[in-house]
Amino acid sequence: MGRYNNRRKTMLSWAVMKDGRALWTTNAVPRRAVYGESLRSFSGTEFRRWDPSRSKLGAAIMRTRRDPSWLLPEEGTDVLYLGAGHGTSISHLHDHLCGQHNDLKGRLVAVDLAPRCLRELTHMAKSRPGLVPVLGDARKHAAWGVLLPRKVDWLFQDVAQAGQVDIFIAACRRFLNRDGTGLLSLKAASERWTGDGEAALFDAVEHQLGISGFEVEERIELTGYEDNHVLFAVRKME
Amino acid sequence: MWLWYDWRAAAIADDHGSILDDEQWDGFHDQRTIVDRLECIAAGGLTPEAMLLLERFPEAKPRVHGEPDLPDADWPLPDEEAQAAADQAAIAMATMGVAQAAGDPDRRLEHLMRASDEMRSTFITMEARLVEWVGLFLPEARFGQDRSSLGKTVSQAESLEHLSKTLDVSLPPVGPDKPEWKALKEWGLGVSVFRGQLDRLENAIRHLSEQHLPSLSALLGPLLAARLCVEAHGRMRLARLPAGTVQVLGAEKAFFNHLKTGAPPPKHGHIFMHPWISRSPRWVRGKISRTVAAKASIAAKIDAFEGEPWGEEEMRALEQKVEDIREAYPSPPSRRG
Repeated sequence: MGRYNNRRKTMLSWAVMKDGRALWTTNAVPRRAVYGESLRSFSGTEFRRWDPSRSKLGAAIMRTRRDPSWLLPEEGTDVLYLGAGHGTSISHLHDHLCGQHNDLKGRLVAVDLAPRCLRELTHMAKSRPGLVPVLGDARKHAAWGVLLPRKVDWLFQDVAQAGQVDIFIAACRRFLNRDGTGLLSLKAASERWTGDGEAALFDAVEHQLGISGFEVEERIELTGYEDNHVLFAVRKME
Repeated sequence: MWLWYDWRAAAIADDHGSILDDEQWDGFHDQRTIVDRLECIAAGGLTPEAMLLLERFPEAKPRVHGEPDLPDADWPLPDEEAQAAADQAAIAMATMGVAQAAGDPDRRLEHLMRASDEMRSTFITMEARLVEWVGLFLPEARFGQDRSSLGKTVSQAESLEHLSKTLDVSLPPVGPDKPEWKALKEWGLGVSVFRGQLDRLENAIRHLSEQHLPSLSALLGPLLAARLCVEAHGRMRLARLPAGTVQVLGAEKAFFNHLKTGAPPPKHGHIFMHPWISRSPRWVRGKISRTVAAKASIAAKIDAFEGEPWGEEEMRALEQKVEDIREAYPSPPSRRG
């Protein structure tokens, strides 16, 4: 008990709490853990521990040099998440975006190509209204684009496949509002080896984003949580 | 003029974004129909509403919701209730898609293959332990090459004395106590159970592989065909690999070492398991594996694109080719060459 009480707790949003080196989100499905994370009550509210080494979004929140809350979408809005994976980040994002019984009326459209990942997500969607899992290719907008009647203000992409930057730019052009936040988690190993090392690769990506109508607000190195990964946080300018 | 449509509505707008006509569908309480419509859009088709409007305005350019060249307009977007219905349909589609993945032979083959690999390595360790263990108590026992029935023999023996009689060796004065003997006996049972299970796993692989990869199975045998398919991450990907990659599939470590340090490239990967290669003299193995990989790559393409499968005849032709190579190089090349 005492160990947790001594640290300084900051609320990054209504649901996300930073507590020293740990992140917590209020559990939208009380008493149920999603991936074996620990549950703990702080002054009567149950929180789920958000493990930043299992979630690139979590890692970025820990690593950013700015106010971390700007990496989160506004609660109760529609967001698009490409490359949903096993749903670690998704579950915490859902806690923040939708809350219990989706009282906040958020919508989280989560796209992934792998049936194995969707298996977890469809299961999660049963207890978490507002989560819309889609089995599909992040590049094939026609297959799931109609599920987003309006453009979103927040888009996250973590697809770890070659051409991730082009996928990101195309998705942002079609689905992200002007002035919206786009987060691109880039895995160096997924791109063709350029021969100049990782730093040069990341520089090239930053340049490409810049000339495609995005302002790179921050380049967040995830070293320590996720090696060889960088998260680009951009704002759509046009 | 533009024809805009999504899963439940369609509208006609001019280039300035004024809506001229629209059609809406409100039957969205039937999930099955929404799923059909979403699938139709995903496949690039038009919804009934869109087709209706296209008849009225044949010159309008149809565009699904969200396409970038559409002008900004006040499109008839779904209300909250309709959106909730679409979300439920999307979840149903995802669930269905996940269920369909079970029908994918690539995934089934991968599980079978990995299971058989894991079981084989466990089995070999357990069997080696059994041989050592029995050998401790019955030092005269010799099992030689054929250990296949040892597990069964041990598990069926009443006591060490009984076992020594079955194996026809003398019984030393000291032996295991009762619980220890029981543990040994059960270990033997485990070994014999594992052997049977391993055989059944391999039969399942053969069975699936002959259906999924008929040509490659005919050419290389079903187990090797399955191995190549799993290593390549699926039949379609195997079909798209060049023959040179098929040749060194499974020798990634040596291959990347070659790229990195300039060491000699590997001559063969998993394909080495085939007796045409592993039973051939060292100096022709590279030539043979190149030939075999080239044919295997063609066979994989036939399987992936479901052409007329190869059979015995093509296998014989390749065997003849392999034989020709062996005959053309009867002795090792001169070292001074």
